[in-house]
Amino acid sequence: MIISPEKNNNLLSTIMEFSYAEYGSALEMLAASKKTTNPKLKIGYIRHALDEYRHTQLLHKILNNQIKNGIGKFENKFRFSPKNVISKGYIDKNGFLVEKFKLKNFVEFVYSNEFLAKQSFEYLSKRISDTNSLNTIKDIIKEEDGHADDSLTVMNDIMKDENVHHGMAKKFYLTKFSEAQLKVAFTREKFKNRMRTFYFKNLKFLGHIFDPILNFLINIFGKIVNLISIPNDKDENLMSSKNPNSVV
Amino acid sequence: MYYLGISAYYHDSSVALIDDKGEILDFKKEEWHSRVKGDKSFPRLALEEIISNFDLNEKNIKFITFYERPVRAWITILKHSVKNNPIANDLTRNFFKNAFNSSMRFQMDLSKYLNLNKIKILYADHHLSHTLSTYYYYRDTPSLSLVIDGYGDKYCSSIHLIKSNKEIINLWNSEYPNSLGLFYSAITDYLGFEINEGEYKMMGLASYGEPVHFKKLSKTIKFENDKLEIDTDYYDYVRRIDRSYSELIPKLFDLQPRNSNETLILGTDTFKKYADVATSAQKVLEDLLQKIFEYAFKKTSIKKFLLSGGVAMNSVAVKKIGELPFVDTLNVPPSPGDSGAAIGAALYGYLKDDEKIINKSNEIINKNFYPGKLISDESFFDLVLEKISDNTNSLKETSKLIIENEIVATCYGNIETGPRALGHRSLICNAHNEKLISKLSTEVKKRNLFRPTAPVILEEFANDYFEINNSIINCYYHMSTVATPKEKFKNSIKGVVHADNTSRVQICNKEQLLGKILTFLKNDKIYLIANTSFNISSDPMVYSKEDAYLAMERMGIKYLLTEKGLYKKK
Repeated sequence: MIISPEKNNNLLSTIMEFSYAEYGSALEMLAASKKTTNPKLKIGYIRHALDEYRHTQLLHKILNNQIKNGIGKFENKFRFSPKNVISKGYIDKNGFLVEKFKLKNFVEFVYSNEFLAKQSFEYLSKRISDTNSLNTIKDIIKEEDGHADDSLTVMNDIMKDENVHHGMAKKFYLTKFSEAQLKVAFTREKFKNRMRTFYFKNLKFLGHIFDPILNFLINIFGKIVNLISIPNDKDENLMSSKNPNSVV
Repeated sequence: MYYLGISAYYHDSSVALIDDKGEILDFKKEEWHSRVKGDKSFPRLALEEIISNFDLNEKNIKFITFYERPVRAWITILKHSVKNNPIANDLTRNFFKNAFNSSMRFQMDLSKYLNLNKIKILYADHHLSHTLSTYYYYRDTPSLSLVIDGYGDKYCSSIHLIKSNKEIINLWNSEYPNSLGLFYSAITDYLGFEINEGEYKMMGLASYGEPVHFKKLSKTIKFENDKLEIDTDYYDYVRRIDRSYSELIPKLFDLQPRNSNETLILGTDTFKKYADVATSAQKVLEDLLQKIFEYAFKKTSIKKFLLSGGVAMNSVAVKKIGELPFVDTLNVPPSPGDSGAAIGAALYGYLKDDEKIINKSNEIINKNFYPGKLISDESFFDLVLEKISDNTNSLKETSKLIIENEIVATCYGNIETGPRALGHRSLICNAHNEKLISKLSTEVKKRNLFRPTAPVILEEFANDYFEINNSIINCYYHMSTVATPKEKFKNSIKGVVHADNTSRVQICNKEQLLGKILTFLKNDKIYLIANTSFNISSDPMVYSKEDAYLAMERMGIKYLLTEKGLYKKK
């Protein structure tokens, strides 16, 4: 997910989200490296992962710089916790992209998202005032641009590989990266990202609608739950006294 | 037939596989695959790998056991929250909302990978899974198993009397929210460290302070009239999801909670103040643990103890308990936390299978620290690393590098079961070189300066260098406790001695990887290696060869030892 920082008032939260997004990308690239048997590609993915890990750390430095410069106060939510990369949806607990997508679609996805990431970093740079942090972001932007280009190179390598194994290269080069094809992929990813941003931005609003319903349900369910007594198993033989099929 | 055990949804998901002789064949943590430290998701990647490596299917799996009873676990907290908090409370709402993401969805997740119409699913009590995970390694009976953790289904601490394979009596429990584990985590949170991750850091920090808050803090959690009771006015884990301590805790210490982005600088006033809090909390934990052990002994007169649950990872407390006069033996499993409970769950399934039993065995210790089938491809190393020695000579060459004061990473064979690196996923160097160890800890691993680095020593020299307590002898083999170094050698191993004058020493035999390297090194009068896990702080331990290369690059490591040889970065 890439957030558009120009529309987000909380700069520190935005930087934190960026760091989770970069961390998620690092994990995706590492997963991709494990999936491929092509040594060159493997190293390529690992190098990409290295950059994303480094970006995560740089973003934490930028966050600290902002706090030092008096832009917002530190809160617990700015404590980086790797597990949040899953709960925030940057990594799908049901599978890495490389598991869910065909290689071609995976590279398309990476290309589009690196491009979007670059755009988002450009927005972010407009809101950062200290020179050090700004230079760091500029360096990240350059690298994200490189990653988008790398994706094209990787795509080339994959298809060369396919040529060797499946004699598909000719077919590939005929259809390879027509501007239209990449444009479609790019627009699709952009739309998906906008939808995600829209959802997260409106979580608070959704809470106003659903929390009263939830409170009502808890009220009823709570009364039922309070009637349930979980039996005490003191002095019992735990190996034989309980039904091993029971979830209670 | 095979028996699977699964632990998931709370923290550190894992899968264990036991065969029809009751032996562990494999154990995998999800975080090793997903690379998300403490990953609590359903362990799909771990399970997929085990299914693939052992050709598991509905015909050869007898039972799959989940490590807790999901509905009981969910209802216990919800019931407490509904009863004690206003309805609109965050914890209640969050718990209710996330019911679908809790362990209650276990069967649904599992069904994506195996045909459950033909496999029987069992559920073991959470604390029984812990007890069995310890019993798997230490089978002397009768013994007392103490399980002390944050929270399992209904209970936070238990005392079990193990009479035999089929008879484990539940003698005592403390129910939620009266939890020693959650108390320690709440102070960890207050000190600005992450819960379920920062407890090690707090224990390290505790060596630098004085227990000045001990009396005040011990009023908030006590063991009286055979009951462990916590004053929940001081602890918000019963009502909030964003914080574990209440406003009363900063007032109690007259100190604001630490922001995690503020570096703790050794020698400063701030450092000392937070270290005092850590020391006080550590002392409260040790004091309460001692009381629970005393109670268990008084009740049964049994002197053989097992300890598991997250609190059993507190190696300093394990040493103190091992010194109690009534403790003949105290054993901790290599993986005492929730991930290791998958082993206990698998064993529960095995023991539930008609007449299956496990025999007493003295050889079990040291044998099953690295279970699993090794399937590994490192051919891509050719592009980036230079092989400087093949596997016939690699250990001798590694010892030469250690003599030359180099740091060597290992990604050798199967990974360790527990949280401590015992040589297979380690960063090792000469333990007699203090500067090198400091570089390893802070520059390479990017850890705080106050965290200790552990030494490894051969069995034959352990007693020369350290005060070894025989009642906890097995714990030294997987770094589950600490030992005091002997005065005459202390100066020569300063880098691996912590501020409290202890070392989390690992004893190894000559058959283990580090034992083999130490055997070469002793000719050059190097008797100890410094050993720390091969990972950057906040990352899981390196698992695959890809992880190893990536970590080498991130940490600036030059040398890597694998089962196929010794490599140098090109």
